[in-house]
Amino acid sequence: MTLPPSDDGARGEGARVAAKTPRPGAGTGASASAEVEMRGIVKHFPGVRANDGIDLTVAPGEIHALMGENGAGKSTLMSILYGMQRPDAGTILIGGREVSFTSPTQAIAAGLGMVHQGFKLFPSLSVTDNVVYGREPRRRGLIDRAAARRKVAELSERFGLGVDPGAPVAELPVGVRQRVEILKLLYRDARVLILDEPTAVLTPAETGALFDVLRGLAAHDRTVLIVTHKLREVMALSDNVTVLRDGRVAARLRTAATTPAEIAEAMTGRAIELDRRYPAGAIGGPVLEVTGLTVRGEGRPLVDRVSCTVRAGEVVGIAGVAGNGQTELIEALVGLRPPDGGRVTVDGRDVTDAPVAARRAAGLAYVPEDRAEVGSAPDASIGDNLAMGFHRAEPLTVRGLLRPAAVRAHARRLIGEFGVKAGDPADPVSTLSGGNHQKVILGREMAHDARLLVVEQPTRGVDIGSIQNIHARLIGYRDAGHAILLVSAELSEIIGLSDRILVMSEGRIATELDRGEADERRLGLAMAGAAEGPA
Amino acid sequence: MPRAIRGVLFSPIVFALVTALAIGAVMLAVTGANPLTAYQAIVTGALGADGIGNSLTQAVPVTGMALALAIPLRAGLVNLGGDGQLVLGGITAAAVGLASPLPGPLTLVLAILAGMAAGALYAALAAVCENRFGVPLLVSSLLLSYPAMSAASYLARFPLKEEGSSLPQTRQLPDGVHLPSLGSGTLNAGLFLVAAVVIAYAVIDARTPTGFEIRMTGRNARFATYAGVDRPRLTLRLMAVSGAVAGLVGSIGVLSFPYRFIDGALITPNYTWTGLLAALLAGAAPLGTLAAAVFFAAMTTGGAGMERVTEVPREITTVLQALIIVFLAVRTGIFRRQPRGDS
Repeated sequence: MTLPPSDDGARGEGARVAAKTPRPGAGTGASASAEVEMRGIVKHFPGVRANDGIDLTVAPGEIHALMGENGAGKSTLMSILYGMQRPDAGTILIGGREVSFTSPTQAIAAGLGMVHQGFKLFPSLSVTDNVVYGREPRRRGLIDRAAARRKVAELSERFGLGVDPGAPVAELPVGVRQRVEILKLLYRDARVLILDEPTAVLTPAETGALFDVLRGLAAHDRTVLIVTHKLREVMALSDNVTVLRDGRVAARLRTAATTPAEIAEAMTGRAIELDRRYPAGAIGGPVLEVTGLTVRGEGRPLVDRVSCTVRAGEVVGIAGVAGNGQTELIEALVGLRPPDGGRVTVDGRDVTDAPVAARRAAGLAYVPEDRAEVGSAPDASIGDNLAMGFHRAEPLTVRGLLRPAAVRAHARRLIGEFGVKAGDPADPVSTLSGGNHQKVILGREMAHDARLLVVEQPTRGVDIGSIQNIHARLIGYRDAGHAILLVSAELSEIIGLSDRILVMSEGRIATELDRGEADERRLGLAMAGAAEGPA
Repeated sequence: MPRAIRGVLFSPIVFALVTALAIGAVMLAVTGANPLTAYQAIVTGALGADGIGNSLTQAVPVTGMALALAIPLRAGLVNLGGDGQLVLGGITAAAVGLASPLPGPLTLVLAILAGMAAGALYAALAAVCENRFGVPLLVSSLLLSYPAMSAASYLARFPLKEEGSSLPQTRQLPDGVHLPSLGSGTLNAGLFLVAAVVIAYAVIDARTPTGFEIRMTGRNARFATYAGVDRPRLTLRLMAVSGAVAGLVGSIGVLSFPYRFIDGALITPNYTWTGLLAALLAGAAPLGTLAAAVFFAAMTTGGAGMERVTEVPREITTVLQALIIVFLAVRTGIFRRQPRGDS
């Protein structure tokens, strides 16, 4: 079968319409046997065509990934499927029957279920109470607790969820709470499970466990629709992928027959180099020196006698499972948390107990993990956000007066230099996409030209297209002779950028690896604490 | 941003005004009054030849207190102790004005400065409570207000009480220690002092690095800390300035007619709370706060004018103010919900 090139071209460069490939044995004609079929979905918002004629077909028992960058139309499409929004045009078929939901309640009744990014659980109640809530088994008008517990235990058993029905939700780790959400759907006989960015909150180990659960569900003929922008996970988990770009289907791919690069290209519309390993830097003298830094917590220290050095022209990466002291270590380094012991010097100056302003004056810049809460004022203009930290010095302030024209010029210069896609410096930062928001912060902090740049999660929630750009800028900054301390949960990012890698575990630096020694397996082992030892 | 803000803010204000006036008209009609006559009476009462002076006189303390509360509010800090700082400024100015051996004009200046200093120190105390002892400013400023009011009341009733008077008031200040009157009415030079504060606040807010830090702290305090703003120090300074302005308003109240401190006279007109409302409505922006404060002051005098001319009680203007605020809130609330596209 060949497609006329003109047809392909009309949908934009890089568009691919591969044959629909339901799971082997999933039926004959795709339409007749599809569990979920959305045809020609159109949804307009003022000024935006969020969905512009999208077709999506998912076979029973299939794990289907819906991919796309921020703003590609994934969330809109899923909220239409789930009855939260009405499409302007198009039809939806569930199990071959046309439906028109006006609320999620109807979608649930039709056998759909959604696990949202933020869980909707009562922390003080038990797993069973959470699962049966709103649909409790009754006996003579009273809730039949024994039956509820039995039912939940049986579901957990059958689908291999491994959840204790009696445990209070508040005591469960995030990964298990997510499985409680899945149990809720199964209890309501959901045949189609929609998961919105399910791994965003999970550790690598929890992610693996979730995938086992989802594969088990598919094996029990449940259909899984997962919305994500993580390529690695799509490759590991899904049967088929639908890629959206600018509100249209950019590609339909069989996972087994595609590559991450191909998906990335469909998402961005251009070739993307993934997981690049950058060459080593030219290393100079020490810039950041940390000796015996300790932050006490309740019980065990959060940061336990950490010593490390970051030199000029060097990227030092800090890896570790979230909650092993990385956050507290960085907070103590940048002055947002008083240390309980140890010493920190930046460029030879002791800043152990210095306030933030003194540290910045000594040569520290910082890109925090939380862009909206710490790294910027989202309601304030892009110009004001970029001016922060530059506002007391010339050229922004002359003879004690802030010059609005200089603030605007400063903003335009950084927007240009960092390729921020922004309309007007007067627009609020909250109007920017994740990647552009990050570029505003990164641009501002790099513009300080500080000897040391501390960067946390530089590409979290950032589009694939921007990730590469941000990485290249960080390496460029390093090559200009600056020192960079990088904290990231993305192992490929740590490995690709770092000259040296420190693995944190329980507040200590458990392992140190040179750039040549590091690969994902080794890092993963060190993070899990099955350490080869700190030698 | 000015264009965007005007686009979003301006129409809700018009909407709120029109809706509130319409509902007010219905209420007036139901009680048998002619809405048009009543509204006309409010306008002439507030802005007519006789009313404009009264409106300006009323606008001085309301605007002053609105600024006092707007200045910390710009950084997200709520000073609920305005009444205490106001009264302390007033009683201090009265005490200094009565006791100072200096010539009149110097005493006048000294009394104003003393009133401002008293308000500043007292407000700074609330900031210290937050910075040092972790008592939230909202709580510390409000609670500190009560002892201040009681202390002023005690001073006016006992040590500083006018002998032979049955009222809880101080002696009248000597002639030289009066703020100069403007024209024949009640308006006085306090207008210029408050105007100077408005101008200073507007310039600092828009054109200085400190004003920039204050605004950014108000937008996101964690971001400001991250960027190096010393928040405890900023809190202390903003509260001191806020208290100083409140103390200034108290001083003006005492150094103008009736030229003495009368217990309760600064509190009962509700300058503090009307001012807080104005500051909140305007998001503590200098000119917006001024506009809202003057508007509220005009409504008050307009209401009094209407009461004189028609049978309608002046409380109707309070109802109108409340309606305007409610509709403003409703309208902006709707604005917030729309982009999510729920229906």
